[in-house]
Amino acid sequence: MEHTEALRIVYDTIDVMNRQLPAARRLLKSPDTVIVGADGLLDSLGIVNFVITLEEKVGEAVGATVQLLDDEMLVEGSPFQTVGALTDYIATRGA
Amino acid sequence: MSPSERLYFIADFNVETLARYMAHTTLPGARTDVAPFGPVLPALAAGPPGSDWSAVVWTRPETVSDAFRRALMFEEVAFDEALAEVRVHAAAIAQFAGRARSVFVPTWVLPPFERGRGMLDYRPGTGVAHLLARMNLALADGLRDQPSVFLLDASRWFASVGSRGWSQKLWYATKSHVTPAVIEQAAADIGAALDGVAGRARRIVLLDLDNLLWGGVVGEVGWTGLNLGGHDHVGEAFADFQHSLKVLASRGVQLALVSRNDEATALEAIDRHPEMRLRRQDFAGWRINWDDKAQNVVDLLAELNLGAESAVFVDDSAIERARVRAGVPGILVPDWPDDPARFREALGSLRCFDSPFLTAEDRTRTSMYAAERSRRCGLAASVNLDEWLQTLEIGVTVEALAGENLDRAAQLFNKTSQMNLATRRLSKLEIEAWAGWPENCLLTFRVRDRFGDSGLTGIVGLHFEGNEAHLADFLLSCRVMGRNIEETMLHVAVAHCRARQAATLLAEHRPGPRNRPCLEFFRRSGLRPAASNRFIWDASAPYACPRWVTVVDRAAVVTTVEP
Repeated sequence: MEHTEALRIVYDTIDVMNRQLPAARRLLKSPDTVIVGADGLLDSLGIVNFVITLEEKVGEAVGATVQLLDDEMLVEGSPFQTVGALTDYIATRGA
Repeated sequence: MSPSERLYFIADFNVETLARYMAHTTLPGARTDVAPFGPVLPALAAGPPGSDWSAVVWTRPETVSDAFRRALMFEEVAFDEALAEVRVHAAAIAQFAGRARSVFVPTWVLPPFERGRGMLDYRPGTGVAHLLARMNLALADGLRDQPSVFLLDASRWFASVGSRGWSQKLWYATKSHVTPAVIEQAAADIGAALDGVAGRARRIVLLDLDNLLWGGVVGEVGWTGLNLGGHDHVGEAFADFQHSLKVLASRGVQLALVSRNDEATALEAIDRHPEMRLRRQDFAGWRINWDDKAQNVVDLLAELNLGAESAVFVDDSAIERARVRAGVPGILVPDWPDDPARFREALGSLRCFDSPFLTAEDRTRTSMYAAERSRRCGLAASVNLDEWLQTLEIGVTVEALAGENLDRAAQLFNKTSQMNLATRRLSKLEIEAWAGWPENCLLTFRVRDRFGDSGLTGIVGLHFEGNEAHLADFLLSCRVMGRNIEETMLHVAVAHCRARQAATLLAEHRPGPRNRPCLEFFRRSGLRPAASNRFIWDASAPYACPRWVTVVDRAAVVTTVEP
């Protein structure tokens, strides 16, 4: 998948998530934004909603069912740590 | 959406995402609270956090009915067993509703992958889908007499997002089967319902003409050249859109025209085109000229005594939409599709018209506005206002609050902004409870004249304390403002004070966003000002009734009507 397409999908997912968050805690559309980790703004429910929404959007883009929700993916150092790392992961893996 | 809204969630699944969505997007600034998810009966029995809270009670059918759960497992179950469980659930909701402002209950749906008995699934006594449909009907029947409980059709939410609505993965991970796509649909419907209950539903649609109600520009092709109806798929789409608007008017939503056209040419098309579904009498008013549309909208709303917050503006031109959006704060200007085939769908998707009641006044509102146009034409021809009022042959009938006028009274309480002394927003239950106290008296006013019946348009609430009477509520529909109905209501209020031996009538204006006209009325009413917003009438004397108004007071404590 093109990197720009992967970034658009991640940003679309951020749009969905931000509608569940108070204005002061909304995720910035920036490669440095932390998704999973000590500085992250999402709680556990938010992270699961984020990943499942992302799965759905990536699935729509590639025309196949996609599996991203995995306990190992949701720890520090995983591709879900930041928006930039996640975008790279989706683009290179082709999800 | 009011930031003072309070919304409580009770569910047998994790409904936190919906609560967050509503608190941060649908109802920004509102307070939300979520009961611990699980069996809902304990939470229903505990009641809401306060009587000013509304609630959403969202359950899954298999947790409400064990019979249904067993039916899903292909066990033979007695039909009545499931319905009895539904009735218990409905009774618990009804009891809860007595302590809440309003309650919204999404209907039960089956997941799309649950095929039940396949081709037998709608067979009575066998099918799971059939059983669930009966359970939903039993729930509706069980809550029929609860005026503050509203069933919301959840099947629409799931259908509108297709296969993206239901996620077993989400269920396993979070104990919520509902995806964010359905959450957004649910939140929009719940928000619209809250708006409706609070009297914030939109009441008028202002429409363009060319390429919206018909295809083509009437000023260029004449009415005979318009594409409307007939054996043409585009013409049929325009005619169908007009039909949808007519249906909307039957719900009590007014239609009006704001069009850049020559008025005579446009009205000729409306009157003469054989395929027009909407005719001149279907419109509460119009501004058809070459002036600025935003100014036309402002002028027309002023003529109809409606605020911009009551109005929706629909135009096929993005430029005109942008102009009105910028020039008329508060008006709703939806994006509009270019393709006429999508007009009906675009209108149907607007959630801003949802109302908790449909009253006789709603059904006849268009003809009332047509009558008002006739009155205004008479006013223009009259030498002065009093002379005009005398020609109207106004009659006012006063009745105590009763079951048959409760819906309309609640509508007035929640919709009336301008002539509203205290701007108390009360639900039907709250109104009924308040009027039931012996020290309170709630009077309704029906207004008619020679042009037609305006229906129940005024309310006076009196609270008696010692030898004083307090005007708790004084509200009058903008439809009949300025016709001396205000003075007639004061006349009746004072008569009731005198009948109950109250020495004084006190009125206190509580400022709201748009009720300054009420303050101005009281300043010129003849009541003695006690402060900038407090007024007193010495009830030893009657308050004169306008001599051209005939009053029939069916709620009178005494039989003689005062002069």
